[in-house]
Amino acid sequence: MSDKIILLVEDNEDDEELAVLAFERSRIANAMVVVRDGQEALDYFFGTEANGGKDAKAMPQLVLLDLKLPKVGGLEVLKRLRADPKTRRLPVVVLTSSKEEEDMLTSYDLGANSYVRKPVDFTRFAEAIQQLQMYWLVLNEAPASGGDRP
Amino acid sequence: MRGFAQSIVETVRHPLLVLDGNLRVRKANSAFYRTFKASGAETEGHLVYELGGGQWDIPRLRALLEEVARDGASFKDLEVRHDFPHLGVKVMVLDAHLVVHDDGTPMILLAIEDATEKTQALDSLLNLNRELDDRVRDRTAQLEAANRELEAFAYSVSHDLRAPLRALDGFSDELLRSYADKLDDRGQHYLRRLRSGTQRMGQLIDDMLQLSRLNRVAMKREPVDLTALAEGVAAELHGREPDRTVAFVIESGLSAVGDAGLLGVALENLLGNAWKFTSKKQSATITVGQQSHEGVPAFFVRDDGAGFDMAHISKLFGAFQRLHTQREFPGNGVGLAIVQRVVHRHGGQVWAEGSLGQGATFHFTLPQEESS
Repeated sequence: MSDKIILLVEDNEDDEELAVLAFERSRIANAMVVVRDGQEALDYFFGTEANGGKDAKAMPQLVLLDLKLPKVGGLEVLKRLRADPKTRRLPVVVLTSSKEEEDMLTSYDLGANSYVRKPVDFTRFAEAIQQLQMYWLVLNEAPASGGDRP
Repeated sequence: MRGFAQSIVETVRHPLLVLDGNLRVRKANSAFYRTFKASGAETEGHLVYELGGGQWDIPRLRALLEEVARDGASFKDLEVRHDFPHLGVKVMVLDAHLVVHDDGTPMILLAIEDATEKTQALDSLLNLNRELDDRVRDRTAQLEAANRELEAFAYSVSHDLRAPLRALDGFSDELLRSYADKLDDRGQHYLRRLRSGTQRMGQLIDDMLQLSRLNRVAMKREPVDLTALAEGVAAELHGREPDRTVAFVIESGLSAVGDAGLLGVALENLLGNAWKFTSKKQSATITVGQQSHEGVPAFFVRDDGAGFDMAHISKLFGAFQRLHTQREFPGNGVGLAIVQRVVHRHGGQVWAEGSLGQGATFHFTLPQEESS
């Protein structure tokens, strides 16, 4: 078991389970943490206000980010991640249903590393997940941390 | 005044005054008396400014009349809006002209036209136009709002309808994969049918979105080499199914003004269709060219494939309309609807002819001039 963490930001239970299934099918096993809305994602990185940000969790190696999320949308989460030195260089892959050109362009403008549209065909979805995992967690040389050390 | 001149004055249908050089009324015609409800006694011999309780004592008219008397000038179309005692508010249009009598005395002819109705008609026409403008603006705003709503709808269709489809397909796949030993052949067959159904629905949603996107994308107008586009599509089709024997005959020098991307999509669909509907033949020919149609140059794509019955022509370009079963020729019935949208956005026309088993020809025009 690798110590690398993948953070999945996904509000749809089915999609969450399918992503877990797809990861299980790949040879490389990573710990997957799931948060279910944009606020939860921000709390994961920066901690809750109630705790003064002291409860921020371990930095993941890869974020899979859905765009249409309750509370705080995916694009806003991406903007906040890129604005903070701690998470500025963190690989973020937008994983969405939307094929709207505008969503794609905005995602890249805000600093997404990849934009992947979830296909209906699960075989292709599983392949896409495996390729993402292979590329971002095995092949890609990431900086020592998601961003600058404070 | 001589009888001849008098009868002319009388014949004129508009009110007419004959004034002397001092602007005193020498004669008024019966139209004047009728219109202004005045009598000869209170008119003839009086200064024009005194008539009708001074209702003609209008500074601008006075200045002009004095100019006419002094210099022999004339004026036309002097519009006077005035509250006349017996008539109410009226718009009068006045013409004045100096004539010199045989005995050398000057006379001024003052013709008066009641233009009130004409002016009112013009005003109401202007009002109507303004109202129409407002209404068009309102409707346009409503249409734009409806369009935005439709776009938002298309967006949520794209996102929300695909999610449950992914679940159907994904969990079916997992059943087939991890629970195959618990399902007999028939059970597995049904699961596969379920998967192909969901994937087809996903394709339908994507096609629907593509169709709606065609209307929204900004369109360029630039010279487009249709020959090169068609050759590119032909090469791609050959690459996809290298075993088929299909000859493409593409006329050289086919060019148009339009959006290369959209026209490429149209040709992909037209040639793709021709390719698909000739698939049952050992060898086939697909021709792309240009010929004049009622004096307008029209492009065409012709194939010698399955063709169609002209009785069903009305369904041909409708979205999600199909003339063949999935088993005969697969498809969603979106291709020709896409072609039609692209051609219409270019301001052109598209039509088809064919017969069962005898192939089909699709014609389209692309006007060269700017059109919206």
